[in-house]
Amino acid sequence: MTVAEKQPVPAAISVRNLDFYYGANHALKNISIDFPQGQVTGMIGPSGCGKSTLLRVLNRMYDLYPGQRATGEVIFDGCNILGPKVNLNVLRARVGMVFQKPTPFPMSIYDNIAFGVRLHERLDRAAMDARVEDVLRRVALWPEVRDRLHDSASALSGGQQQRLCIARTIATRPEVVLLDEPTSALDPVSTARIEELLDELKTDFTIAIVTHNLQQAARCADQVAFFYMGEVVEVDSADRMFTAPRENRTQDYITGRFG
Amino acid sequence: MDRSATSPSALTGVARGNGDAVFATIVRCAAVLILLGLGGMVAVMAWGARGAFATFGPAFIIDKAWNPVTQHFGAAAPVFGTLVTALLAIALAVPLAFGIAVWLTEIASARIAGVIGTLIQLLAAVPSIIFGMWGFAVLVPFMAHYVEPFAGHTLGRVPGIGPLFRGAPYGTGFLTGGMILAVMITPFISAVMRDVFLSMPAVLKESAYGLGMTRWEVVRRIILPWSRTSVVGGIMLGLGRALGETMAITFVIGNANHIGWSLFSPGNTIASLIALEFPESAMGSLKFSSLMAAGFLLMLISLGTLVCSRLLLRTRAAGR
Repeated sequence: MTVAEKQPVPAAISVRNLDFYYGANHALKNISIDFPQGQVTGMIGPSGCGKSTLLRVLNRMYDLYPGQRATGEVIFDGCNILGPKVNLNVLRARVGMVFQKPTPFPMSIYDNIAFGVRLHERLDRAAMDARVEDVLRRVALWPEVRDRLHDSASALSGGQQQRLCIARTIATRPEVVLLDEPTSALDPVSTARIEELLDELKTDFTIAIVTHNLQQAARCADQVAFFYMGEVVEVDSADRMFTAPRENRTQDYITGRFG
Repeated sequence: MDRSATSPSALTGVARGNGDAVFATIVRCAAVLILLGLGGMVAVMAWGARGAFATFGPAFIIDKAWNPVTQHFGAAAPVFGTLVTALLAIALAVPLAFGIAVWLTEIASARIAGVIGTLIQLLAAVPSIIFGMWGFAVLVPFMAHYVEPFAGHTLGRVPGIGPLFRGAPYGTGFLTGGMILAVMITPFISAVMRDVFLSMPAVLKESAYGLGMTRWEVVRRIILPWSRTSVVGGIMLGLGRALGETMAITFVIGNANHIGWSLFSPGNTIASLIALEFPESAMGSLKFSSLMAAGFLLMLISLGTLVCSRLLLRTRAAGR
C-alpha cells in the first residue's frame, strides 16, 4: 500500500524500514515512505512525532551529533545514503534544507547565495551574478533587494530572510528541498508568498515540507503523510487525506480531536 | 483593580524602617572603595614616577639605557621586551586555543569535551612560579640544545626572517619567554572562544552544513565571522595577562637590558625588571622612581588592552 504503487510518478527518495534513535530514545519506528519526484510531500502530526527527525535523516544532518543513529534504507539516486561511504557534503548539496527560523549567514545578501554555489561550482563573475538574480527572482525577492545586494542579510525582514534562505538552498540546484516548518515564524502575508513559491518550485525540485498548519498541508501538498508517535500512520494524496482518511487516528488529528 | 480599597497612607509612609537605605549605603561604599583603590594606585605610581619623568622627560620611554652607575635610566628595552614576548605569546597561543575551542565544540563527543575542557581550566590554575620553574628546568635547556640550534640552521638562513632566528642559543630569551606566556594564556583564550562558539545558534551551523560545507568551511566562513569581535576580545584578555605576567617570564627571559632582532637573545620585560631590581633600589632614589615610571607604563598598556577587550565584547553584546 505504498504510494508508489498507486502513482506512476517515480520516487526521488525512498525510505525503507527506517528506525532512528536519539541515544536510547527510539524516535522513528520502521518507517517506509516514498517522496515522488516533482511533488510536494506534506508531513503532519503532533509535536515530537518524528516529522522533523525524518527530514534530518534525509540529508544526514543527524550525523553532526554523536549518539544519534539510523538503521534501514534511504534510497536516493540509486544509493543508500545511510551507508558509510556517502560523501555528506555532496549529499547535502543535492538534498537542500530550509529551517523553521530564517538563518541568514553573517554576510551580504549576494554572498549568502554565492557562497553556497562557490562550494560546488566554479562560476565566473557574470554567471554568478546571473545565478544570484535568477534565484532571487524565483523567490520573488529580487525587486526588494536588487539595489542592496551587498548590504548585510540580517537587515532584511523575517519573511525576506526566509525567502533568501530558500533562494540560497535552491541556488546550489539540489534535487530535493526539505523544509522544516518554514513559515511558522512568519506573518500571514509572508507565509502566503512562500506557499505560492512552493507551487512554482516543485516543477524543478522534489519537496518535503513539515508543517503544523493543516491548511497549509492541504493547500501546498500533493501527497500528505500523517506521523504519530514515531510511525507513519497514513500516506495519501492531500485530497483523500483531508476528505476521507482511512485511519481513525488521522481522522481524529485532522478534525482537531488531539494534537 | 479597585484603588479606593487601598489606604493612601500605605503608599507614602515608611513601612519597615530604613534598613533598605542602610544596605544601599554599605554596598555603595564597597563599590566606591574599588574606585578609590584603582585611582589611588594610579596616583601613587604617577607620583612615584615623577622624579624619573622630571629628569629624563618623555624620552624615558624611548631611551635604551639602564645604567645605575651613571644614574641614566630609560624604559625602551623593557617596554620592547614586554611587547615582543606578549605578541609572540599571542601568535603562538591563538592558533592553539582556536584549535582547542573548535575541537571541543565541533568535533569531540560531549563526555570527552567535558574532561578535556576541565583539564584546560586546571592549566589556568597552575601558579605562575611553577611555570617559571618548569620553564627554567625543562624548556630552557630544550631550547638551547635542540630548538634554537635547529631553527638557527634552517629558519636563520631564510631571507627576510633570518635575523629573527640567529644568535647564540642561550635557551633563555624572548622566544622562550613568549612560549611560556603562550602556555599560560592558552586556557583563557580557548575558554572565551569555546563559550562564544557554544553560544552560536545550532540552526545557523546546521544550515551551513546543509549547503554541503565541510567542517573547516563552516568554522572559517560562518563561525569565525559570526564570533569575530568576541574572539578578538578574548585574545585581548589573554594579551593583558601576558603583558603583566612576572614570575614565569623572569625565570626564562635572561634578564638583559637589550633590544635586538634575534628572538634567541636574552632581554627583559617591565615586570621582570621591577621584580629583580625593585627590592634593591633605595626608596626615593632615581632608580626607584624610574622603576615606578616603568610600572606606570605597564599599567597604562595593560589598562588600555583591557579597555579594548571590554569595548569589543560589549559591542557584540549590544548588537545581538
